[in-house]
Amino acid sequence: MISMALNRKKEINIAPQKTDLSNGDTLIEFRNVSKKYKSLLALDNISFKIQKGEVFGYIGPNGAGKTTTIKILVGLIRDYLGEVYVDGKNITINRDDFHHLIGYHPQEAGFQEWRTVDHAFRTFGRLSGLSKLQVEHRTNEILNILNLLDARYKKIVHLSSGMFQKLRLGQALLHEPEILVLDEPLSGLDPSSRFQFKNIIKKLAKSGITILFSSHILSDVQDIADRIGIINYGQIMKIGTPEDLQSSFNIGNIIQIEVAENTAFCKGLEDLKNVEYIEKVRSNIQLIHLKSDIDVDLVINLILNKFIEQKCKIRNFNLVKPSLEDVYLKYVGGGTF
Amino acid sequence: MSFLLLFLDELKGYAKSKVMIVLWFGLPLLSFLIHFIQPETEDFPISFLVVLLVASIGGTLSAIMLSTSIVNEKNRHVYELFLIRPVKRYNLLLAKFFAVFLCLIIAILISLIGGLLIDIITIGFPENYLNSIFDSLIISMSSMAITCSIGIFIGVLVSSVAVAAILAVYLGGQLSSVIILPTFFIPGLDPEMLALILGISISTILMGINILLFNRMQF
Repeated sequence: MISMALNRKKEINIAPQKTDLSNGDTLIEFRNVSKKYKSLLALDNISFKIQKGEVFGYIGPNGAGKTTTIKILVGLIRDYLGEVYVDGKNITINRDDFHHLIGYHPQEAGFQEWRTVDHAFRTFGRLSGLSKLQVEHRTNEILNILNLLDARYKKIVHLSSGMFQKLRLGQALLHEPEILVLDEPLSGLDPSSRFQFKNIIKKLAKSGITILFSSHILSDVQDIADRIGIINYGQIMKIGTPEDLQSSFNIGNIIQIEVAENTAFCKGLEDLKNVEYIEKVRSNIQLIHLKSDIDVDLVINLILNKFIEQKCKIRNFNLVKPSLEDVYLKYVGGGTF
Repeated sequence: MSFLLLFLDELKGYAKSKVMIVLWFGLPLLSFLIHFIQPETEDFPISFLVVLLVASIGGTLSAIMLSTSIVNEKNRHVYELFLIRPVKRYNLLLAKFFAVFLCLIIAILISLIGGLLIDIITIGFPENYLNSIFDSLIISMSSMAITCSIGIFIGVLVSSVAVAAILAVYLGGQLSSVIILPTFFIPGLDPEMLALILGISISTILMGINILLFNRMQF
């Protein structure tokens, strides 16, 4: 867990800094939306906004209500309580206006078995309102981006699951939507396909398209998302930038100390004020767990003094903050999978 | 606009999945075989037999084709990709209805032309030929409109392909004959006119119900 936490920290640090979106326009707004399936309350009065150009990571365990939220937005579920606005307009009023704005990558949707990739693009492109010429142009463009040109005339049922997933994304992009809704786009992909797929999404995000991206795996969204919403039991538990989420989560800080190989650790650190306990993770790496709600800088000074007194050969000294994974587990309880 | 696209797409699907070949070659072939195997039909013009036979098999076939394909597509979540586009739900069902209807009408016409050719070669041009052909065409088209809408009804309601196929066999062929039943009991009724009126009204009502049900479904 701790070493995982350390890795996460590195990942967060190298994530590209996104532009400030605090002044952006709201593009999508859920206002007090609830949805009940017979006795199951799938969404319990959720409200949130997504800004124009933002990548919104929507995470939560399976069955938390992610797909229900998404299906309401794309118009597949029509009877719900509350209001949903896209670009300031209620989506129930003139639904066809919104179909043009939104591209949807469904979690499970399939294609009829007789379809080839080319047929699928032609049919869906035309149904989205493109002309024959536009469909031809977009098909080439998208297949090129997705690296699927070789599969153009293959039957969809013969594609690998990675290619199939790309095809689902491709059909969502045909009509150049302003909003891309991705429901678990990375599920069932092998590591290299995940990597490729994430890169494609990152490129799309850079082009200014607004993305709602759901996943039950936090690491899928944390380096792509500008903001993350955590949903569980049909309720939004927390929304914020990855950094906000981390800092809102007040667990005791941890200091990681690495000394030179084959030298001893400093002694007497456990007796320092505000140190909870010390954990040895490798022969030359130890973690000092601090009590929560204390002045960290003061403790650091005390520790540094010990180093100087004992002439310890320090190689690395690092304050570890809670990982996003910790935040996620706190809100979803860790046991609902 | 989206109706035409969906309709052509359905037809393309039937062509690609070889349903058309099976129907357009299989049905006429089957009826000619029956004609030559059964001695009691020998003096009877083959074209009459063909229309009756093909129409009764066609009714069951249309119910099976529609019900199983809708159940299959529901289970594979095929409709999601259509419904997220500016496509009206009723157009999806209407396109299916007319695509199957057209496929079967073409199958009947092919059988008919084939039958006529054989008749001309074997017994010459039958008397009153065009009239009786026209009458039986009207009756079979009306009954197929009903079986098509029954097929869609089963497809929308049921969620297992096997159950859909069984129900389609039970209901599809049998219920379609309802439209000519009244002529047996009430003398003086024009069977073709009655079939036409019943066919159009029953299938319209059934399709209305189907569309209502389909509109309420969640995908």
